[in-house]
Amino acid sequence: MSDYFAGIDIGSTMTKAVLMEEDVISSVIGPTGPEQRRLANKVMEAVLEKAGLPFSSITYVVATGYGRINVPFADKQITEISCHARGVGHLFPSARTIIDIGGQDSKAIKIQNGRPVDFVMNDKCAAGTGRFIELTADALGVSLDEVGSRALEGTHPAKISSICTVFAVQEVVTRLAEGVPLNDLLAGILESLARRISGMVNRVRVTKDVVITGGGAKNAGLVKALSEKLGCEVLLPPEPLLTGAVGAALLGKDIVQKARKDDSTLTRKERSLSEIGLY
Amino acid sequence: MAEEVRKEESKKRKTATVAASKIGGMVKAAIGGTVRAKEEGKKLAYSFICCSYDEIIRAMDIVPVWTENYAGICGAKRDAQRFLERAESLGFSRSLCTYALCGLGFDQWREELGEMPPDAPWGGQARPDMMLSSGQILCDPRNKWYQAAQQFMPDVPIYDVGLPWPLYEDDIELSEVQDYYIAYIVAELRGLVKFLEEQTGKKMDYDRLSELVDLGEKTWNLIWETYELRRAVPTPMGTGDAMNTMVPMVFMLGTQEGYDFFVDLNRELKEKIAKGEGVIPDEKYRLLWGGGLPSWFALTDFNYFNSKGAVFPVETTYRMIEPIYRLDIPDTNDPIERLAWRWLGYWTYWYDKAKKRPGSEPDVERLIQYIEDYQIDGVVMHEAFSCRTWHLGLIWQLNQLQKIYRPIPVLVLRGGHNKEIEHRELPSLILESDIVDISSYSEVDTRNRIDAFIETLESMKKSKTDTTG
Repeated sequence: MSDYFAGIDIGSTMTKAVLMEEDVISSVIGPTGPEQRRLANKVMEAVLEKAGLPFSSITYVVATGYGRINVPFADKQITEISCHARGVGHLFPSARTIIDIGGQDSKAIKIQNGRPVDFVMNDKCAAGTGRFIELTADALGVSLDEVGSRALEGTHPAKISSICTVFAVQEVVTRLAEGVPLNDLLAGILESLARRISGMVNRVRVTKDVVITGGGAKNAGLVKALSEKLGCEVLLPPEPLLTGAVGAALLGKDIVQKARKDDSTLTRKERSLSEIGLY
Repeated sequence: MAEEVRKEESKKRKTATVAASKIGGMVKAAIGGTVRAKEEGKKLAYSFICCSYDEIIRAMDIVPVWTENYAGICGAKRDAQRFLERAESLGFSRSLCTYALCGLGFDQWREELGEMPPDAPWGGQARPDMMLSSGQILCDPRNKWYQAAQQFMPDVPIYDVGLPWPLYEDDIELSEVQDYYIAYIVAELRGLVKFLEEQTGKKMDYDRLSELVDLGEKTWNLIWETYELRRAVPTPMGTGDAMNTMVPMVFMLGTQEGYDFFVDLNRELKEKIAKGEGVIPDEKYRLLWGGGLPSWFALTDFNYFNSKGAVFPVETTYRMIEPIYRLDIPDTNDPIERLAWRWLGYWTYWYDKAKKRPGSEPDVERLIQYIEDYQIDGVVMHEAFSCRTWHLGLIWQLNQLQKIYRPIPVLVLRGGHNKEIEHRELPSLILESDIVDISSYSEVDTRNRIDAFIETLESMKKSKTDTTG
């Protein structure tokens, strides 16, 4: 009988789930809402349905992300630092530095053999996270999907001097009114964000290969700006949003394999996805 | 209801030692004591810790009112915001030292009312007769705080003590400059004595001062010996407790009560070690609190570390002592000179060691020494946004430490399946918040970082190679 492993990553903005056997057999990505416990169930149901598997067939479930404690059916909770390290280490064995740019935080993780050896996080200031792009793009009337490609067309990136997101929003609107071309403004916004992220990343001293994950990795303009700031090429996973969930599933697999090797008891939750209230 | 009560209780901070658990009561009594002393007509002085004048003010029977301590109490009781906001409404910037902001907000309110602000934590901070500031060479709020407070208390005089020490330079011998510094510090302390004599109308009793300096030195040696007991595995006391036991160290120096406290603590730690009793039963990770003042409102975070198997046998914060016999204090019968030498000796203690390791600095050398002496697995620092003095340079220290000191052997893959041993730096964690301002703190984010750090330590442990064989 096959072993299936589930990884569920409840981030501040997006929720991701994967099912793995040897490789990913099913995945789901959706927005995180306020009712994370109920959402965790729904996401799990969706990813199982896609794979055509019943929940009882899942050998082990690991939850990660800031909402990991709100996954009542998870056998284990592991932080996103370890999960990203494992996931990226699996996809890129040569990776030494991960830069994860999420919706409301960003982090840099140094890894070795798929394990974290050091990390820094920015969960204090929106100016170093995806939220910075979201708010400024919204103020400029540009959809999030367009920001990266339009920024790449900017020829003279505008200088964004405000380091606070709220003031940066005001600044870009004023600059637009002054006649600064939209694409230059977008390029300037991404440069500003890249500057802040690289400042944080340098705390762990960047070692190649560098992999970018999270929603930020889907923004070509940001990836380019960051690559220039760091002075090196960066690698991108096929689906940058899923590395945490993939890592979670792989760590679940590691746990099961170790338990079997040691002939130790594996503690697992009941395989049930019953309706759950918010608290 | 019973459930709620249990939840509240479980959030209460736990100390490992009986001695540390007594500190709250001692501080409360001391703060109440200053209010009573005021009523009894004794002279009170607003004072800062670690200014080398403890024995001087005790010898003059002046009652110190430790203003940083009171702000910390407000923070720990999660009742600082109203004083911070009041200071802000008076025009003080939110980015100033939050100890100072809290104190200024409190003082203005007390002066406006002519009595303590409503429900002032632990009875409130008594009005001083004088204020003794000292920025040393690192802390501008310590120079400016009391000057700003004079807006509300224009009749209260200030004496500002200059207490410098030479900055470290690896090509300059301390002996070339130390006499100039000693002469300067002695002159400053003598000026302080003169000021206190004017304020109190009585002369300094130098024999009594000598006795108190003897007691202070004896206390330093005892604290050092006591804290060194924490090297034991499992460690009998952690940094969470040390954030309590700093009270008798820096607020009660030159008092018998302060000395006796460490006699008791010393005995308790020896008993715990004899019984093999640690902070936690199963000690997995030994951490160094490598700098930064704590978030006084979140000291339960130390318990959270403990719940994950991590202990802090040592810290650089509030370990404001070194063994006196190692400070090269020359023979002198002048207690003022002894205080000056003790001051200079403390701040330059790590200079010679740093010179022996290329790329090192005294603060970094201190970290390395503690890492080795206390068998440390990782370093934790706290960046408090409002305190530039203590916190500027912490990241640099950490970077420097990681550059010059890589004590962990791990096996790494080098192309194909070749495995080689590489030496890695200790994992580190930087917490970000403040000392008093709770609005800077997120328990969820902080504990997420701690969880990730514990997992990193675990992964390093798994990767660690035994190179001794």
